Amino acid sequence: MDRRSFLKWSGLATGAAMVEQAPGKPPPAQVVAPGGQVGVVTPNGATLPMKRSGKVKVGHLIAGEFEHEFAPGMRALAWGYNGRTPGPTIEVTEGDRVRFYVTNRLPEPTTVHWHGIILPNGMDGVAGLTQRPIPPGETYVYEFTLRHPGTFMYHPHFDEMTQMALGMMGMFIVHPKVPVGPRVDRDFVLMTHEWRLDVGARRPDPNEMTDFNVLTFNSKSFPATEPLLVGKGERVRIRLGNLSAMDHHPIHLHGLSFKLTATDGGYVPPSAQIPETTVLVPVGSTRVIEFVPDEPGDWAMHCHMTHHVMTQMGHDAPNMVGADTRKLDHRMSRVMPDFMTMGTLGMGGMGEMEMAMPPNSLPMRGGPGPFSYIDMGGMFTILKVRDDPDRADPQGWYAHPAGTVAGPASPQQMSADGIDVSDGNPER
Amino acid sequence: MGADRRVAGLVLLLGVVSPGCVSPSMQSDLARVRELTHLPLPQQMAEARDVSTGFPKEVGQLLQQPLTADAAVRIAFLNNRELRASLRDLGVARGQLLQAGVLPNPQVELELRQQEDPSLPFEPQTEIRVEYGLSQAVLSVVRARAARNELEAARYRTAAFVVELGYTVRAAFYAFQAAQQRVAIATQALDAFAAARDASQALFEAGNVPELDVATQDAAYESARATVAQLELEVLERREPLQRLLGLHGEATAWTVTETLPRMAGEEPSFENLERRAVTASLELAETQRRLEGAAQRAGLTRVEGWLPEVSVGVIAERKSPVAPAHGEWEWGGVLHFTVPLFDRRQGTRSAYEAEFDALMERYQGMAIDVRSAAREARNRVQSTALRARQYQQVLLPARQRVMRQTLLQYNAMQLGIFQVLQVRREQLDAELTYVELLREYWTAHAALEALLAGRRTGASMGGPMGAGGPSSLAGGTEAGGH
Ligand SMILES: [Cu+2]
Repeated sequence: MDRRSFLKWSGLATGAAMVEQAPGKPPPAQVVAPGGQVGVVTPNGATLPMKRSGKVKVGHLIAGEFEHEFAPGMRALAWGYNGRTPGPTIEVTEGDRVRFYVTNRLPEPTTVHWHGIILPNGMDGVAGLTQRPIPPGETYVYEFTLRHPGTFMYHPHFDEMTQMALGMMGMFIVHPKVPVGPRVDRDFVLMTHEWRLDVGARRPDPNEMTDFNVLTFNSKSFPATEPLLVGKGERVRIRLGNLSAMDHHPIHLHGLSFKLTATDGGYVPPSAQIPETTVLVPVGSTRVIEFVPDEPGDWAMHCHMTHHVMTQMGHDAPNMVGADTRKLDHRMSRVMPDFMTMGTLGMGGMGEMEMAMPPNSLPMRGGPGPFSYIDMGGMFTILKVRDDPDRADPQGWYAHPAGTVAGPASPQQMSADGIDVSDGNPER
Repeated sequence: MGADRRVAGLVLLLGVVSPGCVSPSMQSDLARVRELTHLPLPQQMAEARDVSTGFPKEVGQLLQQPLTADAAVRIAFLNNRELRASLRDLGVARGQLLQAGVLPNPQVELELRQQEDPSLPFEPQTEIRVEYGLSQAVLSVVRARAARNELEAARYRTAAFVVELGYTVRAAFYAFQAAQQRVAIATQALDAFAAARDASQALFEAGNVPELDVATQDAAYESARATVAQLELEVLERREPLQRLLGLHGEATAWTVTETLPRMAGEEPSFENLERRAVTASLELAETQRRLEGAAQRAGLTRVEGWLPEVSVGVIAERKSPVAPAHGEWEWGGVLHFTVPLFDRRQGTRSAYEAEFDALMERYQGMAIDVRSAAREARNRVQSTALRARQYQQVLLPARQRVMRQTLLQYNAMQLGIFQVLQVRREQLDAELTYVELLREYWTAHAALEALLAGRRTGASMGGPMGAGGPSSLAGGTEAGGH
């Protein structure tokens, strides 16, 4: 039992969860459910405040349009709930009776579907099938009892192609009455999503079917993704939800292996929890993984589809790799002095080039790292494993003990180990 | 000698009524032409020049600098042989005027006769008769007036030639300048084609594109090169008419012109009362008017001639032989000579003159109609070319520039490749090519309107360089090679 266990999960703790998190600084984990279950943290996001009304927990979701920043330099008009995308994470406990008021401030009707939750049919939020769509300007109310714990999602079921493409979605966490499995110290939710934002445009394109160019965790693109700060030896849970239009995301973590403990269908029995370093999160699914890191450091966590860690990559540029463009460069200086040949040495350096860009665009952009520029973007974040996570600076970098960082090989060491690079082929 | 004094007096009298002095100087013709055209015609035009010697000093000086349209016109005024010839042609009309005013010569008759009495020794009887055609002397005044109208008509003709020359030089100048500018733009476009070719070659050598892309870009470059060669020929073709108009030969043919056509004028000339202004200014109408007056005067003269008896007055002095009795003194007498205009009343000549007058009058009316129509035509051309050129200058070219800038931004963002950037650049240059052609049309139309208001219809042709078949596009389309 650590000090967190002494905090009561009711009263004070619930009140704290109702306060929306300040961006940038994750709040310390707090017990919110029986058995010392800590509250979920939504990096770059918030938890929905719930009021108690008699025996019912009441929440209010307002669907509407707002300007969203994917990362500094890339803003666009998005749709979401309570002015954010993803909408605030709903966090309740098994057995709770909940009532959600949904106000529609969109230009078209909407509904809310409680993805994965088993509830009365008329509360399922499928426009036309189980309810009338909520007209613009009106407020509908949903009420049901949560009979099963798990990791769920919510999203519209009216013109979902448009509404989800523009950012309408959120996570829905139901803690069990009796904790399942070992108690966790940290509980994160990350919602993966994909968008089409044309370079220079101001609104994501819902008509795109295949060619997505902004890939996000909680609707943020690296370097704007908040790192996940955890303690060495702590048990960490990450709940992943995928409401992308078309793509499954193989989410890969460095520095540890984890086990898949649950899906939106329920808990995986311990005997079936196989160790992994990559978990595929299919479209319309949630996956819950748990692990205990024992190697401190700054560990990459990202989708392993290479295009999903590239922001706004174009496909119309010819393959310039390896081209000798000296003659061309000379010619181009006459035709167009502002022109600069790119990509002949590969594209790794693109993000660092300071070139004039169209507004709202971060093509090929990554972010700063402690050693050099990190040339990945999009669906990328950092798992920061620290000895004392509550006192560590979430923005700070890991201080490596001496002699634990890869560096240039010295000729002495190479020759001592019989490494010869003169012909470049170690097999010969 | 009273008789001598009397003869002298008659001559003097006739002299007073004669048409007066005609300045033989070409300077006065030039001054008059200058006055009619409102153009600063150089004084040197009236100076005699040896054909074999070089150019006026001023021409040499003007040729040192890249020429402007104004400088080209100035050179043409100084150096165009046809213009100098037409100034000299005025001498013909001037000579005719001089002749028309000249008084008829007196007739002198000297008669020697044998004495009536043959017994007397030979001592001839003398008779001197001086006769002067009075009516011809009076008519010469009218004749000179008709001739003066002819001279004035000739001066109007020369003035019209000067205005037309000015216009022709400007039109030729703009055509050459535009051709030169078009080649410069086309050469840049060619560079863009070459860059695309170089790019596809580099990509092919790196193993990134199939040979098809190289071949496609190569073919596009080569056909662009053929187009540029055609435009280069056009520059040479446009140079020679100007060369001829400026009367240049030998070393003086190495002139250059300012590189770009001037931008459009801030505002169009006023079209108010344009038709009336054109009619008022028309040098050909004025010329015809003079010719009409001349014809009227000649017809009137013929009418007078028809009724006026041919009158001549004379003095007779006779002296009988001094040996004859009571003789040997001069005897004086007068003589009056006239014809009776009974049959030949110059009817034929008169009706010929009257017919000529009527025909001329018809032409005059038709000409006035044409001048009004030409005024409307000139206005339409200026307005239309101004509208189109201004649309390019103020809207289309900036829009193309924006496309170029945004394309480069999209390229920087790796959304587009070099081939698309080059295609957009070629389209931008293509718009500039069209703009230059529009600007040429605009300035040519402008010069035509100015010439019209200076008194000369020019029949400005709007035809583009090289006729309709000239190359107007270099943008090409080489979609392959980009992917
Ligand atoms: Cu992915």
